[in-house]
Amino acid sequence: MRFAWTFAIAVVLACLVPLVSPNYMMTIIVEALIWGIFAMSLDLLVGYTRLYSFGHVAAYGLGAYTSALLLLHFNLPLPIAIILAVAISSLIAVPIAWVCTRTHGVSFAMLTLAFAQLGYAMLYRFKEFTGGSNGLAGIPRPAGPFGLEVFQGKIGYFYLVVFCLFGSYLLCRLLVNSPFGSVLAGIRENEAKTSALGYNTRAYKRAVVIASYGFGSLAGALYAPFAGFASPELFFWLISGKVLIMVIVGGAGTLIGPIIGGIFFIFLEHQLAEFTDLWPLIFGAIFIAFVMLAPQGIWGLVTSAASERRRSPGDAASESEDVTGASA
Amino acid sequence: MNFAGFLLTQCLNALSQASILFFIASGLTLIFGIMRIVNFAHGALFMLGAYAGYTAVRVTGSFTAALIFAPIVTGLVGIAFERVFLSRLYARGDGGAYLMVTFGLAVIMGEAIRLIWGAQALGVPTPEALRGAVLLLDQPFPRYRLFLIVIGATAAIAMWQFLERTRAGLLIRAVSQNAEMVHALGTNVEWVRTGVFGLGCAMAAIGGVLAAPLVTAFLGMSASVIIDAFVIVIIGGMGSFLGSIIGSLLVAFVQVFGAYYYPDLAMAIMYLLMLMILVVRPGGLLGKEE
Amino acid sequence: MPLLECTGLTRRFGALVAVDNVTMTVEPGEIRAVIGPNGAGKSTLFNVITGVLKPTDGEALFEGERISGLPVYEVVQRGISRTFQLTHLFPQLSARENVRIAAQAKLKGRWAMTGGAAVFEQSQHLADAALERLRLTRFADTPARNLSHGDQRLLEIAMAVAQGPTLLMLDEPTQGLSIEETEHAIGILQQMLAGGDLTVILVEHDMEVVFKLAHRITVLHRGQVIADGLPGEVKADAQVQSAYLGGFE
Repeated sequence: MRFAWTFAIAVVLACLVPLVSPNYMMTIIVEALIWGIFAMSLDLLVGYTRLYSFGHVAAYGLGAYTSALLLLHFNLPLPIAIILAVAISSLIAVPIAWVCTRTHGVSFAMLTLAFAQLGYAMLYRFKEFTGGSNGLAGIPRPAGPFGLEVFQGKIGYFYLVVFCLFGSYLLCRLLVNSPFGSVLAGIRENEAKTSALGYNTRAYKRAVVIASYGFGSLAGALYAPFAGFASPELFFWLISGKVLIMVIVGGAGTLIGPIIGGIFFIFLEHQLAEFTDLWPLIFGAIFIAFVMLAPQGIWGLVTSAASERRRSPGDAASESEDVTGASA
Repeated sequence: MNFAGFLLTQCLNALSQASILFFIASGLTLIFGIMRIVNFAHGALFMLGAYAGYTAVRVTGSFTAALIFAPIVTGLVGIAFERVFLSRLYARGDGGAYLMVTFGLAVIMGEAIRLIWGAQALGVPTPEALRGAVLLLDQPFPRYRLFLIVIGATAAIAMWQFLERTRAGLLIRAVSQNAEMVHALGTNVEWVRTGVFGLGCAMAAIGGVLAAPLVTAFLGMSASVIIDAFVIVIIGGMGSFLGSIIGSLLVAFVQVFGAYYYPDLAMAIMYLLMLMILVVRPGGLLGKEE
Repeated sequence: MPLLECTGLTRRFGALVAVDNVTMTVEPGEIRAVIGPNGAGKSTLFNVITGVLKPTDGEALFEGERISGLPVYEVVQRGISRTFQLTHLFPQLSARENVRIAAQAKLKGRWAMTGGAAVFEQSQHLADAALERLRLTRFADTPARNLSHGDQRLLEIAMAVAQGPTLLMLDEPTQGLSIEETEHAIGILQQMLAGGDLTVILVEHDMEVVFKLAHRITVLHRGQVIADGLPGEVKADAQVQSAYLGGFE
């Protein structure tokens, strides 16, 4: 029950944000929330399954370009285009997942990077579709369904993103607290043992990669229509670094940590960028500091005060805490 | 264009390409051999070499100066990094931490380079003495590429002799086989590690300087080069110096001939090769790693 | 019908023949000990049977069906659970969660991506029962890595037992245990096996354990079976005695 109340309060607070924020801030806020979704999607891989991906930008770029193309060519209602973009991106993630999960550790990281680079290269190769280095501009936000025009404005879009953020958080939470999620915990702790217990660990890893790319592509799909354009920058490898930093510094394996990490990173970025050009270096240094000294991240530090050990869904369930948000 | 001429040109192209790849891959494999980590920042160090070389050329007008300055600077950066961060991770035995930290370095370096040199690609002029072409079998072939072949072969032989014939080389080989034993025999293994890491970084930087006149210094170098280097090291065997030579040759030939016959797939060929290698050998690691 | 039938099972590593033409039949309800000097191929034999390694030759049948060459997880699903020579656990998770995940592996709902309250309840039940059987209940909430070595070995056995296997394969369960812990472990194993509803194959070096528990003994030497029979027979066998250089206690 405690979770349900906290969640409800968070939702209410989020909905009140536009009332207290000046218009120019809304742009930054929406961007921050989108990155929150993106960071959370990577947490499924890095935090919950210990699969280090250096190519997560591929999910973002895929989502962005797919929604951009759908909107430009088919003029679909915005929510439909986004849903379709996520579906298509998730499908594309299937062969990627299949190939990458055949390896682990460094090889896995390299393969994810290779796929991201491949995507980047393909943007230039197929420039008739993708606009090459110029990208795609003038992405519309068509009305609908049912003539709904609310998303065409900044505030309306904000609520769309808030809905997506809270919605995907709930879905991810369900996932990691499910039996499937407990197997991910096993893989994280000792993959060989998990396999020896009778789990087809490769299949589980494939599934979590696809889920991670799916949620990541949602972030990208929300970004393109918001910014109004999609460019190869959205596939650049440094973005994979940025989001990884958000996850580790925010607190891997907590879902909330990366969301908060993402949001604060974007805000800090905007604030610091006014004072100094050195901010990416500062973030990189903070990242390394956390990896070396506080790998559980900010949220991990905060919550380890509350509980002694690393939780697995089974632990939580056995303490009859309301983990799924639904009554037992 | 007759076929013999074509073949010769392409082979020489491949050899010159292999030369640059060798500088990167050998460093990566040596570092792995001695530290059992894949230095993810290796591509960024290559890139730093290219940019440092650019600056050296601009300031002194001398390519030779670049070939000296860049590896020193990059080697020092690498050594500083190893001393301050990597050496503290040995005790932990956490593969994930190494990955993250070297990745963090790559990101920091990428951003730093962007900051210092800007986002535009920077051209480095081919040194005067090496401009122009020579005629081989009636085909013109760039002098600079011949230079690359010569310098690559020289470096490869020199490194090989260094590893096989000198005491320092022996130490390096010993540490990569059994660090504890070497430590028990009284050698300061830490310094060997630091030294090799610095050497690996310097090699990568030289590769960057050599590549700059061909491809310019640009920010995307880091990511694409690390993948190339990784594929080579996997093919040749992690930790195997000779393997890095063989791997560089193989990959260079695939790249050059592949680009000729399937120009559309030029970019994708590396990735396909990598996918194939890693899929066929799911563990991905040969050579010194079981 | 025999529960496990190995026929001519062979495993080569280049020139080394680790498992050499091993033929072995285990009946349901039996407790079989596999013994032999170090390097005899006992763990390799386990690995071949359970799918960690593929046989170079020969085959293994379980309940009449071929299992040699199947992936590890498939073999477990068919009803074989095992422990390892080196303890493998989920270090940061509680003892109870370790066992629960093991129990969950055999439940259909293990793929459930949402909710799964029923699966959790069921696996929790099985876990608690297994912990009870191995007398580890007091450690239920302790992170696995904080348990003593002996309790960790027992926890591993609990995990295997919680899977409700038809065949339980234990690889040196008492290795690294003190004399006290070994007696404790024997007592627990005896209790467990008294029910008669399990078939067990165990690799053991400790002859006390072997003679206290086993119905039949198979002796391996350099990958080959050199003796197979009742404990008394095997003890008296000359070949076995020479393989162990001077006989048993």
